[in-house]
Amino acid sequence: MSGRVRILARLRRSLTENAGVTDEDRRAAVDARLRMAGAQTAPVPEIARTEGAAMLERFEAKLRGVDATVTRLPSMDALPGALVEELRARNLPRGIRMGEEPDFEDLDWSGLDASRGVGRLEEPATLSRGLCGVAETGTVALRSGPDNPVTLTFLGETHFMVLKAADVVPGLEEMWARVRRAGPMSRTVNLVTGPSRSADIGQVLQLGAHGPVAVHVFIVED
Amino acid sequence: MTHQPTTPQFKANARAAIADGGLQEQMTKALANSMAKRAYASGAVPEFDALRDAARDLKNHTLAHLDLYLEEYEAKVQADGGQVHWAETAEDAREIVLGICRAARAKTVNKGKSMISEEIGLNDFLEEKGIAPVETDLGEYIIQLRKETPSHIIGPAIHVTVPQVREAFRKHHPHLPEDRDLEGLDKLLLEARAELRAKYFEAEVGITGANMLIAETGQSVIVTNEGNGDLSQSLPRVHIVIASLEKIVPTLEDASTVLRVLARSATGQEMSVYTTFSAGPRREADPDGPEEYHVVLLDNGRSAMVGTEFQEMLRCIRCGACMNHCPVYRSVGGHAYGWVYPGPMGAVLTPSLIGLKQGGQLPNASTFCGRCEEVCPMRIPLPKMMRHWREREFERQLTPAGTRRGLRFWASAAARPGVYRAAARAAAWGLRLLASGGRVKRLPLGGAWTQARDFPAPEGGTFMDRYRPDADGRRGGAK
Repeated sequence: MSGRVRILARLRRSLTENAGVTDEDRRAAVDARLRMAGAQTAPVPEIARTEGAAMLERFEAKLRGVDATVTRLPSMDALPGALVEELRARNLPRGIRMGEEPDFEDLDWSGLDASRGVGRLEEPATLSRGLCGVAETGTVALRSGPDNPVTLTFLGETHFMVLKAADVVPGLEEMWARVRRAGPMSRTVNLVTGPSRSADIGQVLQLGAHGPVAVHVFIVED
Repeated sequence: MTHQPTTPQFKANARAAIADGGLQEQMTKALANSMAKRAYASGAVPEFDALRDAARDLKNHTLAHLDLYLEEYEAKVQADGGQVHWAETAEDAREIVLGICRAARAKTVNKGKSMISEEIGLNDFLEEKGIAPVETDLGEYIIQLRKETPSHIIGPAIHVTVPQVREAFRKHHPHLPEDRDLEGLDKLLLEARAELRAKYFEAEVGITGANMLIAETGQSVIVTNEGNGDLSQSLPRVHIVIASLEKIVPTLEDASTVLRVLARSATGQEMSVYTTFSAGPRREADPDGPEEYHVVLLDNGRSAMVGTEFQEMLRCIRCGACMNHCPVYRSVGGHAYGWVYPGPMGAVLTPSLIGLKQGGQLPNASTFCGRCEEVCPMRIPLPKMMRHWREREFERQLTPAGTRRGLRFWASAAARPGVYRAAARAAAWGLRLLASGGRVKRLPLGGAWTQARDFPAPEGGTFMDRYRPDADGRRGGAK
């Protein structure tokens, strides 16, 4: 406890007495700033302000730019079939690991070995439900929880993510608005921008460092 | 691994680094595109400079209210069921981490990349206490095998060549067949991936650093490309975040502003692959994630920088752009700096953290070209602060006697215009005598300069001679 007291006292001395500001004024400034949470006070770059079809196009282009692949689906019902196709095209076993996502519950998974639960040592393919997609950078935001175990995002060798076209937002600002609207803060909010990578060996960029080697995003249009 | 600082031997370190042909070749290769990548990524956003201003301003505001934001942050972490530990010194931080590890009966500890861990010398300490730290960032893993320290804050192994990586893997993975094919880079990556994958499931404790701490939400943020930090913090039963106390930002929107300048400045990416915001242990319904969440807040000299001319250094977000652009760093590499933080940011931060007596050589290792400040996303006036250190060094008489005499001699001449002008005139005349074809090939007292390049000879009179108006009132006419 004493370390805490000494650190805070040292800071307070430098920031209050020596700076000629009262503690009350400083508290008021902090309160005001924290009340502004949810509003961006800094400039929002133009790349984070696209709309409509251009926004969706930018999201897809940015995903491809970070070595992810992307396909559109007419409805959520088409997801299991599309997954079978993707797995076949990638020469992967017909299996998928996912969480207890309600949107996945009523789908017909009979063509696949679909299991639910956390990530295990070997996970050739995993599926997550994205909270939203960010057109600014091709980022998918995920909330951890029973519907979306965080380990699936990192242990899947190929990681599939699905989100609705209506869940694509222009920039980080709208993404945080969605996160805030989604309820109490989940343990983690994961922003994923393409498959994992490293240039630590020979300064040559290689995909698939510790996380997924490949990332595929399904955009459901209904 | 953190060793005793060798910063006082910077000159010798630098000389050895420049004579090391292998290192020179590797540094040239490793840093070849770093400046172009940053230039391209920042140039693609017209608002980039406005974002830098905003990032600077939000951090200035945070630092001016640091104590209050830290209290807000702490309350939020506790509300989510996490614990905050305050460490005044590196030793405090090590003991806190050890205590948590022992309570968790940890035999191995997985680590995401953390410069704070390097600063407090955590790996050596844990090993001494019988706990095995496993670095999981590929670069950190390589240098851990080679028993080295990082040479760059975001690319810890940029000094290591591919054959050296191969050699380290052959030596330290003896359980794998000796005749296996390790020729391609992909083979090396796959081997490291397979080696570490199992380890994620074995460790009882995972330690990560933090790129930011959010006061509004009590979240810690890690920004990575490999995914190792997330595996290190998701799979073990206990997650420890070690972070220095200036990492705080007020809100999620402020975090967005920092993220918009961070990756572009660091690697030239628009966004790193994984940006993870974590708060507290697993929720009741969560099927995965740690059961305990600890944050160790490290001071280690930073609170003493607040209110001084070095406060602005606390805006640093550790992107590494300053070292990527530094002619000194690019020539001597990171290890010559002799401690944890190299390059321009290290030259300013190191004397604050380990003292001017130990780190005083680093602020002198600069050409003052100013490129570091030009590219710093947080607009930290690095050359100005290096100058502050030089002044302090002079005041405390830590500057070598010869240099002090020289400076005093120059200062006394510079303060007497008549003497100064006469000396300048004599020097210009002398240089013209030594010159042939407008170049001086060998300069007395300046042999080190002319060894590698010619010195330009003065073309006319001194500045004051040319500045003084002639009889007709014209300036610049003197021949």
